[in-house]
Amino acid sequence: MKTLRTLSLGALALACAASLTAADLAKFDSQPGSKVKIDGTSNIHDWAVEGGIIAGTMELDAAFASDPTKAAPGKIAAKVETSMPVRTLKSGKSSMDSVMHAAMKQPVHPKIEYRLTELTLKETPKSAEGPILLESKGELAVAGVTNKVAFPVTMTRAGKSLKATGTASVKMTSFGIQPPSPKISFGLITTADDVKITFEWNTSAAEAK
Amino acid sequence: MNNLPLPQNDTNNALDVSRRDFVKTSSFAAAMSMLGGVPLFAQEAKPAAAAPAAYDGPTVKCALIGAGIWGREILNTLARFPKAQVIAVCDSYAPFLTRAKEAAPKAEGFTDYKEVLKNPAVQAVLIATPTHLHKEIALAALAAGKHVYCEAPIANTIEDAREIARAARDATRSYFQPGLLLRSDPQRRFIVPFVRSGATGQNIKTRAQWHKKTSWRRAAPNQERADALNWRLRKDTSTGLVGEVGSQQIDVMHWFLAKRPVSVTGFGGILFWQDGREVEDTVQAVFQYEDGTSFNYEASLASSFDSELEVLYGSDATIMLRGNKAWLFKEADSPLLGWEVYARKEQFFNETGISLAANASKSTQTDQGKGQNEAAYADPPLYFAMESFIENTELIATGIEDFVATFDAKDTKALRDYLNGLQKSKKPAATYKDAFEAAVVTIKANEAITKKGVVKFDPAWFEI
Repeated sequence: MKTLRTLSLGALALACAASLTAADLAKFDSQPGSKVKIDGTSNIHDWAVEGGIIAGTMELDAAFASDPTKAAPGKIAAKVETSMPVRTLKSGKSSMDSVMHAAMKQPVHPKIEYRLTELTLKETPKSAEGPILLESKGELAVAGVTNKVAFPVTMTRAGKSLKATGTASVKMTSFGIQPPSPKISFGLITTADDVKITFEWNTSAAEAK
Repeated sequence: MNNLPLPQNDTNNALDVSRRDFVKTSSFAAAMSMLGGVPLFAQEAKPAAAAPAAYDGPTVKCALIGAGIWGREILNTLARFPKAQVIAVCDSYAPFLTRAKEAAPKAEGFTDYKEVLKNPAVQAVLIATPTHLHKEIALAALAAGKHVYCEAPIANTIEDAREIARAARDATRSYFQPGLLLRSDPQRRFIVPFVRSGATGQNIKTRAQWHKKTSWRRAAPNQERADALNWRLRKDTSTGLVGEVGSQQIDVMHWFLAKRPVSVTGFGGILFWQDGREVEDTVQAVFQYEDGTSFNYEASLASSFDSELEVLYGSDATIMLRGNKAWLFKEADSPLLGWEVYARKEQFFNETGISLAANASKSTQTDQGKGQNEAAYADPPLYFAMESFIENTELIATGIEDFVATFDAKDTKALRDYLNGLQKSKKPAATYKDAFEAAVVTIKANEAITKKGVVKFDPAWFEI
């Protein structure tokens, strides 16, 4: 009897796992108006570059997407693949932009890419609009180097739109990027290795096909 | 008809290279020192690039339409930017086309601008034809989805200028830059905060002048060509000295002051060049403003005395700009600003001018060997205007490319919002609004000069 129960539980688990297929994922497409900001510092002053295009799609467990207030904390089936053209990152100074784009090996690796590997709901949200607090794990590829990254993500909903915001801290050197030190400064200006990436990604539920 | 000496280096633009050379090399600065001013310098530009080394970065593919003297000056300037790739040159006059191809050997030659616009490889079009021919080409270029640089004044009638401004405004996918060069000039940009912050006290009056001994008449092998070439000398095609030359300095003064005139009174006549021309060779336009102040613009083709200058008279101090230099002259009772104690000073007759140089702080480290009369940078305003045009065109072109690769290309509003977000990455340059405003002001000033009377500005004229 006990064996049978274990088996049936196992079967149930399998069935659940099987149900986590594309068919049960709700798709969200990237929309204009997204923002990415990279903040850094140097021994002289803080700096920031901003971009306004995040491409890609997000797929979330359909039941979770339709009513997140019923979801229990834990792993959420999800698939996210996004990218951002490196040259859309701007500082407001074109001379600094070309240095930055060169440091990120833009001609060879024109995009920054991110792929989600795991999404965990931290707590059941009180409202379907959010905020929905999640933890993410994924892979970030910059300048041809891919690293594992983990950072908290907050989602908010409004009608068909879903906005994901978050902040990730990374080291430039972990992507093989030497923090730039302008030659003209004779080594007096040194850029710190740590940068903070903040994003605000606008998506909208894809039209049913 | 034409028995007068012909100019050797005549151009249709006030801010030509020879003026800069003059300022750099003549004893003009020394003469100014004797009068006593403090130079106001702008930040030093990068040294003129040597022959571009093998450049494999992004390019902006350009076409020049109108290859006269000024058009070829544009080609020579573009040649200094590896990013600017001139792939087509166009002029209906064969000898001009030949000379343009010498200046841009890799460019294909065309006699019909429509053929240039048909080439999908052409991203940006630079229009340097006579003023009255701008509209047709500018509208066609914008309609063809090209980025457009159009010489100033953009048109010789307000109606044509408005049509161009509207087309530029509505062309979401095109970057439009008019040839109001001083808006890109680092020295002028450096002066704006001095004027706007009240460092000169209350603005009392302003003055600008352009004096050059030159006929403005171009030599031609036959009468037909002479007529086409000397469009500046006819009333139906020219906006006169106040427009064809004055647009630049009049625009910069209105930019400094952030003012629009309420009326303009014109004076002038054909005083020296009695060669059958219709356009006055010496003019004066007095603009008046709501606050009671005035701006006196003077231009002459009959006297070269004192060349070009712009002066802003304030109750605490006066700023004088000449070419790429500027000075501040303080009143005896004006408050101490502090920094001027350390600034370079020059003696101008009975006055002491304080240098207003944008690179003043840098100059202490890098320019110690420089003579006092050396300007902060040597490049003419056209260099900075072309740099802005090429950089901004690339910014907008790649912005559109990145946007449509991701989102719905038909979503014009979203695209416009995205491109607006790129504004702060733009290099400084005049806009279609500036060009239209300058066109209205100078066309009406020319009208006032023609009738030797007053024209009151109707606010409705300024509506695009």
